[in-house]
Amino acid sequence: MLKLIGVETFYGKIKALHGVSLEVLEGQLVCILGANGAGKSTILKTVSGIAEAEYGSIEFDGQRIERMDADDIVRLGMSHVPENRHVFPELTVRENLQMGGFLITNGTTFSSRLEEVYSRFPVLKERDRQLAGTLSGGEQQMLAIGRALMLKPKLLLLDEPSLGLSPILVSEIFETIKDLHRSGVTILLVEQNVNQALQIADYGYVLTSGKILLSGTYEELKKEDRVKEMYLGEGKYVRRSRLWGT
Amino acid sequence: MNELFPGLAQEIVSGVALGCIYALIALGFTLIFKATEVVNFAQGELMMVGAYVNFFFITIFLDSLGFGNWPSFILALIASIGFSVLFGVFLDFAINKPLKDEPVFSMIMATISVAIILRAVVALIAGPITLVPPSPFGNSVIRLGSVAISTLDLFIILSAVILVSIFYIIFNKTRWGLAMQATAEDPMAAGLMGIPVKKVYRNVWIFATIVATIGGVLLAPRTLLDTNMGFLGLKAFPAAVLGGFGSIPGAIVGGVILGVVETISMGTLSFHFHWIKEINDVIVWIVLILVLMIRPVGILGKEEVERV
Ligand SMILES: Nc1ncnc2c1ncn2[C@@H]1O[C@H](COP(=O)(O)OP(=O)(O)O)[C@@H](O)[C@H]1O
Ligand SMILES: [Mg+2]
Repeated sequence: MLKLIGVETFYGKIKALHGVSLEVLEGQLVCILGANGAGKSTILKTVSGIAEAEYGSIEFDGQRIERMDADDIVRLGMSHVPENRHVFPELTVRENLQMGGFLITNGTTFSSRLEEVYSRFPVLKERDRQLAGTLSGGEQQMLAIGRALMLKPKLLLLDEPSLGLSPILVSEIFETIKDLHRSGVTILLVEQNVNQALQIADYGYVLTSGKILLSGTYEELKKEDRVKEMYLGEGKYVRRSRLWGT
Repeated sequence: MNELFPGLAQEIVSGVALGCIYALIALGFTLIFKATEVVNFAQGELMMVGAYVNFFFITIFLDSLGFGNWPSFILALIASIGFSVLFGVFLDFAINKPLKDEPVFSMIMATISVAIILRAVVALIAGPITLVPPSPFGNSVIRLGSVAISTLDLFIILSAVILVSIFYIIFNKTRWGLAMQATAEDPMAAGLMGIPVKKVYRNVWIFATIVATIGGVLLAPRTLLDTNMGFLGLKAFPAAVLGGFGSIPGAIVGGVILGVVETISMGTLSFHFHWIKEINDVIVWIVLILVLMIRPVGILGKEEVERV
């Protein structure tokens, strides 16, 4: 469904991605892990057309998209929920969802999508007429996801959806992600909660300094010392032989 | 006292009419700033160009084709709006696209240059003389008791109210209007919704050009037509700041207040207090400074809230 080959992205003269290749198959939930500043968000931005790939190719649903504008990529059936939510603070909850459905021109389709989002996140319906900027962090995250679901995307890009949320809300968001995955949405997820993310993911990529370091299933990655060290909070792994050895 | 009232009432109406023009220019200016973050110092010149183009169309319809006063006025207005659409597309291409992400300083230099170029081009084509645009109202007045109000002023006020109402509905109730607001708030997120951000920017420039043109069409019969008319557009800045910079209702309120203050100080006040005549040119700025001392964010401006 999504395939990146040798993607390089720059911010001015600074290279943020050094030839990233990865693949997401239809129906999969794929997770990108990596420290702060590794380039995880940059991958998602490059895929969705906010940032431009200087080199390499990006194929989505059989089409090359690396030169397209963000709004044209959305039309192909990809929605990106950016880091830090980016709801429109001065618009109401409903208006935010209306903007999520900007491309829907049919009134009945729009209403039924709106109802679907409201039944998934009832709190949004309660807060219908409230300005999005006045919502709590968790509610804003639900709005950001709900807004992206208005177009029923084939591929959903989620950038740290649990960032800054309380543990209860984090598991709620993860439930939502699992549920979306079950219902057949292909998902590319960037997460800090590595343990939780890998448990629900079909496949994971580990990114350091703009390069893919490792990739594999949860079971495979779990065995990797480097992953345990960096992300699974099991302390520093040092091979015994190294402690004593030459 | 019974001398004072009719004079003052007339001045207030006349001031509101002038203020409506300021409001229209400030509206276009604020809209462009909010949506694209371009500070357009050529907004007054857009009004001037619109007024000249309208004059050109009116003379065609009136003199060459021999239509009546009103049909000529309306046809010329429609033709001028048509021109504004094309002109807006051109400005988006010539100003917005190249300047959007440049530093404010280059942007200001560039839009000031555009203003000067527009003045020069119009002077070149139309000649350096002052033109007297025909108006379907002539000098007619409506009398309410002892108060005589210019029909043109009433027409200006009415047109501005209609225009602002249309704008309000488009901006708040339509899909494209909401998309404009969303783009102004967060262009990146707007793009992720599938909102064609570049088209929104273009629409904003078209809209601001249309509003400026209509302002010019309304103003020209009041002030006569010359290429320095655009300087009046500079009043859009104190108007916008007075109302609250970046606030659209603020631009409108600020414009109207400015027009009234200016007209009254030029009329009744300087008649009774001669020293006011001396400071007439700066009275607007004095009011501005006073308002900002009491309320730095302007009348309708919002306190900036730090977002976490
Ligand atoms: N808008 C930007 N301008 C310049 N550099 C940026 C910008 N966004 C990110 N970077 C840099 O690119 C690198 C990757 O950032 P990012 O993709 O946000 O990492 P992550 O999401 O993994 O934390 C970092 O070094 C960051 O400083
Ligand atoms: Mg990030």
